[in-house]
Amino acid sequence: MPTISIFQQDFAQLLGQPASIPDIEQWLPWVKGELKDVNSDTGEVRVELQDTNRPDLWCVEGIARQIRAVLTGSLTPHSFFSTRGRPKRRIQVMPGIEHVRPYVAACASLGYPMTVEGLAQCIQTQEKLAEAFGRQRETVSIGLYRLSSIAFPVTYGVVKPDEVRFTPLGFEEKMTPQEILTVHPKGLEYGSIVAGYERLPLLWDTDGHVLSFPPIINSRELGEVQIGDTDLLVEVTGTDLSMVILALNIFASNLADRGATIEPIDIVYPYETAMGKTVKTPLDMGNTQRVSFHAIEQALGMALGAEAIQTALTSYGYQVKSTRQSVAVKLPAFRNDLMHVMDVAEDVAITRGYDSFSPIMPQTFTVGALSQQEQTSDQLRDLLVGFGFQEMFSNILASRNELVERMRLGGTEYESLVEVDNVMSQTYACLRPSILPCLLRVEALSPRVFYPHLLFEVGEVARVDKEANVGSRTVLSLAAISAHPGANFSEMHSYLDLLMYYMVWPYDLEPVSHPSFLDGRVGRIRCQGKIIGYIGEFHPEVLESWQIDMPTSGFEIEITIPNA
Amino acid sequence: MSSPNQTDSLHPLEIQVLRALGSASTESLKDPELVQATSLAASQVSMAVGWLLTKQLVHLVSEITTTYVALTDVGIQFQQAESPLEWILHILQASSQDGQATTVKDLQAIGRFQATELSRAFGLLKKEGVLSLGAGGSLHTTGQKSATVEALRQLLNEIHKGSRPLESFSPDQQVLLRQYAVKRGNTQEPFRIDDHTERTYALTPEGRILLPHLREDAGQEISQLTPELLKDGSWRNHSFRKYSIHLRPPRLAVGRRHAYREFLDTVKTKLTSMGFQEMRGELVETEFWDMDALFMPQFHPARAIHDVYFVKEPKHAKRIPEPFLSQVADTHKNGGETGSKGWQYAYDPERAKRLVLRSQGTAVSARTLATNPPIPSKFFSIARCFRYDNVDATHATDFFQVEGIVLGSDINFRTLLGLLKLFATEMAQAKEIRFLPAYFPFTEPSVEMHVRHPKLGWMELGGAGLFRSEVTMPLGVTVPVIAWGLGLDRMAMVALGIQDIRDLFTSDLEAVRNMRRQL
Repeated sequence: MPTISIFQQDFAQLLGQPASIPDIEQWLPWVKGELKDVNSDTGEVRVELQDTNRPDLWCVEGIARQIRAVLTGSLTPHSFFSTRGRPKRRIQVMPGIEHVRPYVAACASLGYPMTVEGLAQCIQTQEKLAEAFGRQRETVSIGLYRLSSIAFPVTYGVVKPDEVRFTPLGFEEKMTPQEILTVHPKGLEYGSIVAGYERLPLLWDTDGHVLSFPPIINSRELGEVQIGDTDLLVEVTGTDLSMVILALNIFASNLADRGATIEPIDIVYPYETAMGKTVKTPLDMGNTQRVSFHAIEQALGMALGAEAIQTALTSYGYQVKSTRQSVAVKLPAFRNDLMHVMDVAEDVAITRGYDSFSPIMPQTFTVGALSQQEQTSDQLRDLLVGFGFQEMFSNILASRNELVERMRLGGTEYESLVEVDNVMSQTYACLRPSILPCLLRVEALSPRVFYPHLLFEVGEVARVDKEANVGSRTVLSLAAISAHPGANFSEMHSYLDLLMYYMVWPYDLEPVSHPSFLDGRVGRIRCQGKIIGYIGEFHPEVLESWQIDMPTSGFEIEITIPNA
Repeated sequence: MSSPNQTDSLHPLEIQVLRALGSASTESLKDPELVQATSLAASQVSMAVGWLLTKQLVHLVSEITTTYVALTDVGIQFQQAESPLEWILHILQASSQDGQATTVKDLQAIGRFQATELSRAFGLLKKEGVLSLGAGGSLHTTGQKSATVEALRQLLNEIHKGSRPLESFSPDQQVLLRQYAVKRGNTQEPFRIDDHTERTYALTPEGRILLPHLREDAGQEISQLTPELLKDGSWRNHSFRKYSIHLRPPRLAVGRRHAYREFLDTVKTKLTSMGFQEMRGELVETEFWDMDALFMPQFHPARAIHDVYFVKEPKHAKRIPEPFLSQVADTHKNGGETGSKGWQYAYDPERAKRLVLRSQGTAVSARTLATNPPIPSKFFSIARCFRYDNVDATHATDFFQVEGIVLGSDINFRTLLGLLKLFATEMAQAKEIRFLPAYFPFTEPSVEMHVRHPKLGWMELGGAGLFRSEVTMPLGVTVPVIAWGLGLDRMAMVALGIQDIRDLFTSDLEAVRNMRRQL
C-alpha cells in the first residue's frame, strides 16, 4: 500500500476547485485513500492508497483526476491517445535487447515549464511506479530527460559492459556501465536486475550521446531535469509490455493534466511484440468489455436501472455504450485493472457511495457449532482451571535454544523442528513442537511471583512428520507444570490421573528415559495403544539452563480427536 | 479510628505487646526488651508490632542499624583447629624438619581444603615472602612471619567470644574481616558481616487510651473453632476473639482462564450463537492455499520474502490436490472458466507447493470452500497467523485472526453490509457505522467497516467483501460468498488494560494473574 505526499494547493489546482481538508477527507473513499496526516503549515497531506491494482492513483494528478471525474460527472479525455499520423520522433530497438529488457515506451512532453512542485511530484510518481508497481525496477523503470538536448532517432540496445563511458547522475566523472554497477549507489542497489548478462541495456541518441543505462541510472548531461525545463522526454523500459505502456500512459496523463502537450513516439522493434513491430506510445490498450446490467444489479443487491448504472460508470471515468440489457464499458487508458464484471460493479458502488446501499440483515438459518478440537480444548481447560491451574497463552514461535538445547534434547530423537527459512530474529525462528518450553519460560521469568505456580496451556504445536504432505502436522496439545518447593512426580500424576478419569481417557504409564526429565521419575503416557505424551520431574540441568531455582514437574499430552 | 470497642478485635499477641509497653518503666522499649518483657518469641513480637503499627496504636521511635561480625561454621572450625594458611605453614615446617620436599600437588592430594582455597593461601603467603618455590615445584618456608596469619588468628579468637560491632575493630582489621567474610558465591569463609537493626517502639496516644480497656481474659479466647470444640460442645464455655475484618486478606494462587483467551472465548460464543460453524487449519500451509487460491498473483508484493515466513525443511509440499491446482492455475493465467481475464502471467505450479507459516486466516476459508460446503452455510475461524515483522508494541510475530465466510444464493453487496452491521452491534455494541471502499486481492467489492464503540470511539472493526469469482469458482463454489475478517486485538487490549500487543502473550506470571477484563 503506497503512501504519498501531496500538497493541498497543488491538488486544488489540478482539481480545478478549492479543496479543504474536510473536503479531501470526504472525497478520498473514491480513490480508496486514507488521510494519514496533515501539516497545516506547509499544506502537505499524506495519503495512503489501498488499491494495489490502481497505480494511476499513486500520485496527486491521478487522485485529482479521479475525484474531478466523480464531482463533474465525467472524465475529460486525453487527446494524445487518439492523435493520427506517424509521430515525428522514433526510438529504434536493436536486436540483443530482447533477452535482457525487451520493451520500451516513450513520449515527448512539451510546453509545461517544470515547477518545484511538479518536479517533486514527478520524482515521487517515478519512484512509486518503479518500486511498487515495477517490482523494484525489475519489470518497469522510468527515465526523464531534457528533450532539447536529444537528437532523434534514439537507439535502445545492448552494449558490452566497458564499451561506453558517460557521466551518471550524482557523479562528476565518466564511467562505464561496469564501473557504475560496482561503484554507483544505484548500481549497487539495482545491479542484481542485470546481473549475469554479458551485454547491458543502453539508450543513446543519434549523436552517440548516452541517455541512460536502464534500469540503473540516467546520464547527467541528458537526464538531469531542472526547474524551468519546458520540454521533456519520458521513457519507460521493462520486461512486461503492457505494464511498460501502462506506466507511460499514467506518466503522460499526469503531465498533460499539468498543462503539457504530449507527442507520441514510435517504437520500432526488430522483433514481433504483442502490440506489433511498430508501437506508437502512449497507447490506449483498453479493450471494450460487455457487462449485463442484471449482473451488476444482482451483485449489488439493488435494482438500480440501466440509466443509474451508466451515469455512475461515466462519472467514474468509464466510456460506456449501452443496449437494453447490457453496457459496453471501456476503462481510461491509464487503468488496466478490469478483470471481471465484479470490478465494474464495485466502481458503481464506489461512485454512488457505500452508504447509499441500505444493509439487508442476514435472514437464512444456519446451525452454529464449535469444532470437536475446540470443544475438547474447552473441556480440558475447565478441568485444569478447576484443579487450580492458571491458564497461559504463549507465542508459538520460539528459539531452537529454548525448544531443544534448554530442554536437553540436542542430538536426540526429539530435536527436529519446523524451522523458518528467512529468519528475522533467532528468538522467533521455530514453531514449538511442545508447549512445556513455553511454560518453563514463564517459570524462568517469574521467580518472585507468589507460589505455588500451577500453570497450563492448551494450544497448537507443529511436529515434524515426513509422511505428511507438508512435512509436519499441526497437533493440539495440553501441557501443565507445577513449581513450588514440594513439586514432584506424584503431585502431577494425581492431576493427570484425575484429568484422564474425567475425560474418560483410560491410560497407562510406562517407565522410560527422557532427556528432559529425571531418570526413574518420568513416564510415557499411553492411551488406547497410542503414545500421547510424557510426565515427569524436570531434570535439574533443564531447570539450571532456564535458571529456574524451584523444583518443577509437568506433563504434556497430545489431544487426538477421533474422526477429526 | 481508635476506640475502646477496638479492644475486642485485638489479637492476644497484640494485647501482650501493648501491656508490656504500657507497664515498662521507660517510655519506649527496644525489640529485644519487648521479647523479654512479653516472653514471646521474637517472630511473634514482630508480627504483633506489625499489626499495631498499621492500627496506629504503636509507633516507631527510632531505628538504629549496626554492622556486626560473627564467626561462621567454617570460622568456628578454623578457630578450633587451623585456617588453611596455618595448616600449610605447619605441614611445610614439619616436612622441612624431616628433610622432605612438598609440592602444591602433595598438599592438594591430602584433600583437607579445596584447591581454590589452597591456591589463594599460596598466593598470599608468597606475596608476603613467607613461602618460596624451589626446584621441582617444592615449597619452602623462608622463616619470615606472616602478618595475615597472626592477625587472622587474633580475630578468630576475639570474635569466638561473641559477635561484635564491626566498628569496634581497627581499620586494618576491618579490611581483613571484609576480605574473609562470606560473600555471594563464596560461602567457605570464616566471618559473617550482617546488619542488625534495632528498633525502639512506644505507645501512641491512642494506644495509651486503649490501655485500661484491654481484656483480662485475652489468653482464654478462642481464635479458631475446632472439630473437638464442636464435638464436646465445649465451645459454649469460651468466647471468640473478634477479628479486624478491615485488614487485607492473604493472597491466593488460584486456577483461572487466561484473560485474552477468555476474550476470544466470548468471540467464539458470539459467532456460534450467530450460526457460524468453526473451521480449523494447519500452521504450515502451502502458498497455494495461503495465496494462490485467494487469487493473489505469484508476483504480488505481499508474497515477498519480507512479508511471509517460509519453511526451511522441507521447502515444498508433496502435492496440491486436483482439480483445484489446475483450475486455480488457469484462473491466474487467463481467468479460466470464471469470466475473468486473469492476471495474464506464467503461473508456476512448483511455487504453489512452497511451504509457509500461514500468513492469513483466509487460507482456512479457502480450504473450506474446496470441501463442497453446504449451501447456505456460515463459517468462522480464530486462526494463529504469522507475519514477517519486527516485533514491537504494535506488531506481534504470531497473532490471531478472526475471520470467516458466508455462502448463500441470497448473498450480495447489501447482505454483506447487513452482516457487518450485525457484527458491529454484536461485537462492539456500536450503533453508528461507516462503510468505506477497501482493497483486498480476493474480494470485490471490498468494504472496510468503521464503528463508533461506546467507550473507544471510532475504530476500524474489520474488512470484508464478496469473494471474487476467481476465488470461489476454481474451488467448486458457484454461489456468492462473503469473506469477512474482524480486527479485535485493539478492543481486547483496551478491555484488558494493555498498551503493548506483546503483553497479550506475556510470559510474566504476575501480569497474567493480574490481567482482567475491564470492558
